[in-house]
Amino acid sequence: MPLNDSQFMRYSRHLLMDDIAESGQQKLLDAHVLIVGMGGLGCPVSLYLAAAGVGQLSLCDGDTVDRSNLQRQILYTEDDCDKAKVVCAQARLNALNADTKIHLYNEQLSSQVLANSYDLVVDCTDNLTARQQLNHHCVSHKIPLVSGSALGWEGQLMAFDFAANEHLCLNCIIDKDSAEPIMNCGNSGVVGPVLGAVGSLQATTVIRILLGYFNQHGQIQRYDGKNGQWLGLLAEANQHCVICGTQ
Amino acid sequence: MIKLLFFGRLGDFAGDVAPQIEATEGLTPALVRESLAADYPALAAELSQPQVLVSLDQRIARWDQVISDGAELAFLPPVTGG
Repeated sequence: MPLNDSQFMRYSRHLLMDDIAESGQQKLLDAHVLIVGMGGLGCPVSLYLAAAGVGQLSLCDGDTVDRSNLQRQILYTEDDCDKAKVVCAQARLNALNADTKIHLYNEQLSSQVLANSYDLVVDCTDNLTARQQLNHHCVSHKIPLVSGSALGWEGQLMAFDFAANEHLCLNCIIDKDSAEPIMNCGNSGVVGPVLGAVGSLQATTVIRILLGYFNQHGQIQRYDGKNGQWLGLLAEANQHCVICGTQ
Repeated sequence: MIKLLFFGRLGDFAGDVAPQIEATEGLTPALVRESLAADYPALAAELSQPQVLVSLDQRIARWDQVISDGAELAFLPPVTGG
């Protein structure tokens, strides 16, 4: 469906770019993205994707807004405390872009959430169990996965285009049977803008994948905000991986 | 020689660890960690945490992978929050 006048104005800064233009904007408008975890990463990811005109966003999180969230979870306000995160997020995102259809899962990740069809999944969770569940689903259903995480001054992005690659998945890099580290954001803290940096990188990667510009399956980006350092790393498929391996 | 990189908060534990070590036959990231334990016990403890990653020349590596002379060995602390 061609863009209407309002959309031409709204997305003009995309339309000015030859490598996005009207056809690229249409791809974003046609896309359905699942965001799991509406905390420090899910907030910037959902804001940028709604602003960019992604047509459908499914938001999954069973938590309510806590006062301690407001230091970094930029969708929420003081009035949102004790309310469901996904409900508050929907109101903010609809106010930003009424064209983006928001679907809500006011619950933790479950097979029911994953039963729907998505073009891409964004992992904004805070634990390995949920990350591995998303990884397994995305490998099995050939859905691209953009995974982010942060702690203290540090952030990490891992992106997998399972629509184009069968091998090399999150489990090849971090085994599903690994224990959770002692340090987490709840006991060790996190700098809000570090989450913003990783979330922005996740949203950029989502747009790259949806537009067909992503060719770095399995690449890892690390950010150290305290020392101002970035590090890009490559990973290799583990042929013995129980999720995507060949042996 | 092998160049050592302790990324992020691991750098706070590394202190005055030599930035390069001698390349010896059969040396692995696990053996490097073991060799640090005596003089840098806090660093070695951090390196023994679950989900610490190692890389050789910017490629994710196994802890038992043999390190080539001239390689850069990086240790990356786990980042799990969201």
